[in-house]
Amino acid sequence: MSDNPDQTAVVPEPGAGQTDTIVLEGVEKIYPGGTSPAVSQLDMTIKQGEIVMLIGPSGCGKTTTLKMINRLIEPTSGRILLDGKDVTHVNGDLLRRQIGYVIQQGGLFPHFTIADNIGVVPRMLGWDKQKTKERADELLHLVGLEPSTFRDRYPRQLSGGQQQRVGVARALAANPPVMLMDEPFGAIDPITRDRLQDEFLEIQRTVGKTIAFVTHDLQEAVKLGDKIAVFATGKLEQYADPETVLTRPANDFVSDFVGGGAAVRRLSLLELARLELHPIETDEKAVGNSNGTPVVEIDASGKPVSWRHLPGADASGVALVTVPISGTVYDAVDVMLDGAASLVAVVDDDGRAQGVLHWNDLVSGLRTRERDA
Amino acid sequence: MSTATPETINTQAQETVEEVEGKKESGLARLWQQHYDLVILPAIIILLLILLFVYIQTRDLDTIEERVLAADNVWGLLRQHLWLAFLSTVLVLIIAVPLGIVLSRRGARKAQGPVLAIGGFAQALPPFGVLLLMAFWLDFGVTTAVIGLTLAALLPVLRNTVIGLQQVDQSLIEAARGMGMSSRQTLFRVEIPLAVPVIVAGLRVALVLNVGTATLASYIGAGGLGELVQQALRLNRINVLLVAGAVIATVALLIDWLAGVVERVVVSRSG
Amino acid sequence: MNFLDYLASNSQQIVFLTQAHFLVVLIAVGLGSLISVVLGLAVSTGEPDPRRFSLDWFAAGVREGGLVFTAALLTVPSLALFALFLPITGLGVTTAIIVLTIYTLYTVLRNTVAGLTTVDRAVLESAKGLGYGRLRRLLTIQLPLAWPVILNGIRVTTLISISIAVVGAVVQGPGLGILLLNGISRIGAANSFYQVLAGTLLCLVVAAVFEIFFAIVQRLTIPRGIRV
Repeated sequence: MSDNPDQTAVVPEPGAGQTDTIVLEGVEKIYPGGTSPAVSQLDMTIKQGEIVMLIGPSGCGKTTTLKMINRLIEPTSGRILLDGKDVTHVNGDLLRRQIGYVIQQGGLFPHFTIADNIGVVPRMLGWDKQKTKERADELLHLVGLEPSTFRDRYPRQLSGGQQQRVGVARALAANPPVMLMDEPFGAIDPITRDRLQDEFLEIQRTVGKTIAFVTHDLQEAVKLGDKIAVFATGKLEQYADPETVLTRPANDFVSDFVGGGAAVRRLSLLELARLELHPIETDEKAVGNSNGTPVVEIDASGKPVSWRHLPGADASGVALVTVPISGTVYDAVDVMLDGAASLVAVVDDDGRAQGVLHWNDLVSGLRTRERDA
Repeated sequence: MSTATPETINTQAQETVEEVEGKKESGLARLWQQHYDLVILPAIIILLLILLFVYIQTRDLDTIEERVLAADNVWGLLRQHLWLAFLSTVLVLIIAVPLGIVLSRRGARKAQGPVLAIGGFAQALPPFGVLLLMAFWLDFGVTTAVIGLTLAALLPVLRNTVIGLQQVDQSLIEAARGMGMSSRQTLFRVEIPLAVPVIVAGLRVALVLNVGTATLASYIGAGGLGELVQQALRLNRINVLLVAGAVIATVALLIDWLAGVVERVVVSRSG
Repeated sequence: MNFLDYLASNSQQIVFLTQAHFLVVLIAVGLGSLISVVLGLAVSTGEPDPRRFSLDWFAAGVREGGLVFTAALLTVPSLALFALFLPITGLGVTTAIIVLTIYTLYTVLRNTVAGLTTVDRAVLESAKGLGYGRLRRLLTIQLPLAWPVILNGIRVTTLISISIAVVGAVVQGPGLGILLLNGISRIGAANSFYQVLAGTLLCLVVAAVFEIFFAIVQRLTIPRGIRV
């Protein structure tokens, strides 16, 4: 997604995919009167277009770190670089106008209309009224809110989820290269949150921002993050992609934090397309084969409709369940549990059977892959 | 939020008490920590009185001034003043607090809105006018003054009581009912004890209002410290005017201060 | 002669005194509100850091001290304050306005402080995060959001001022108090009762006019998004 810069971006740097957009060098924060640092000697680099999830128990310094990037909290020592430029001592207010910022519950200004809320930063940057208005409409559209319905409403007339969408739109308004998000979906009900997360990823695919995102929800971190930064008492314990954090925690703290649910969460990282599936037959002749290949019956369009033959068992009465190959192992397990089936047919986008996943070799298969890695 | 009563001061005081109680300290030190702010006002008053005393001592008072400012005269007026304020406050409490409690009962809740609205608007009704109208209706004198003072303070105190009772935590009342207390038991064992701070706050409001309005009782021949001001104006004596203003202000501030101390004791006792 | 006859035959004087009463209150409340709101804005600040001395400490001190002091002033009977100011500012309208202004300070200051501090933290934080400077935050976010509370304080203080202004007649301040003093000094004479009655009741009329005035101001100045 990093090679899809925002269409409206001024000039995306060529080959920008690997630039270090946010660099923290030996950043430290000691609150006045505090004895131990809230964040100590932190070195961290966020590349352009990456979503980095900052996670950890409360008081671990993740929010402090986030707020030091736009200097809502002033670092005690160390340097912060944005696009190679040291911003540790520039004017904080001017700096913050260049960085998108989204917080829990949106923090919308209740006395501003939705359009005015979105236009806050553009107006401060001196955009004219017309351009600001157009930008607001464009962003409302982007976050899935109909501009003609919503632009003149006030925040309290919107649901929590809608307010949060506006919050994201407002942060994107002046097209900042960097966005900071402080538990933006924390106060939203689980179903809406899930949808907002999907939409967020969708938006990120088109805008390609560099994002630092604080969360306390590991599920969210795994789902959204290109990388996860696990914090403990002011220190960065591990900084890696989600799979590495889940499968190879750097130390006891991370492994405790990731916790017992890690194995299950990992399933959602394993895409079915990456697995070696067992073969499946659609040919009538293969019925009764002795090499253990299951056979399905297909309809005229080639879609499997029911089991024809299963190894070592009579196929009649065994429900056929399928899962799209674009899904993850998590989805496959879900389907099997739901259908009380010990195996699942994996189908491609056209609905044709591509292979089979067994409950048993799912488990051993995962183990094998772990050893491979 | 909407009346100029000492309610916010109370809550602030409560907060300070709670904050400081967190720290474990012993005896006098703790008492001082919790209530050092109570010393400020009397200190200021004493300072001002000393300044006034020095000022008066340096003046050559003529015989008229000396006669008006004689300790006997001032003392007598002060006693009249306090008596007026005391009587009317007792009357206000006897009428307004039970009425406020009645209004907080389920059956009468509908009347609360109008009472609050009228009570708010009635703040514009001048107590001076009420007092004078009473004098026309009845006669000059102490009885009329007490009735007038009582009437003038009734609505503000009633309003305060109703607001205070509204703020009593409804979940506690529900809990009491949930444990099987009867409506009567709930009123006497939960609601009224919880409302004691409200009643004391009402006492304070009534006292402050009545001490203030009692200064005007002299206009209907009921005496009080207002008499000093009237005499000063009639005789055109600046020195007397200054002393009169200072004495009235001091008395009012001290009484409010005392009521504040009582309030704090009661609030800390009732948790 | 009944009350209505009295009102009709003295309408000129009565209307004049009612207008004067209205104006004195308006001026005093306007002045007092201006002082209190500006002071409240100036001393509005985050919680001062307990371990480091800064301007915030000074502001917090002025804020708390100002509240205690103006609250104490409110308990001083108006007759006393009029008496104390008379030697300094003389008989007449100046003294009346100064004393009335003093009485308006506490309520407006208290509501300004309360209104400014109860603004949603999330809103303030996001304003800061979007690059709002301190002054811009104060004037474009905090003040509009606190305005309903501040305005209510001004309303309440106006009602109180109407009844206090009556006492101003003692120092020859303008307004309806003059009717009361005339009436009581002429007790027994013709219409003296009606004079006092008119002076008292017209205070309520003045109050009603102010209530309408405030309803309109509320309508015009409270932003739509936060109107109840």
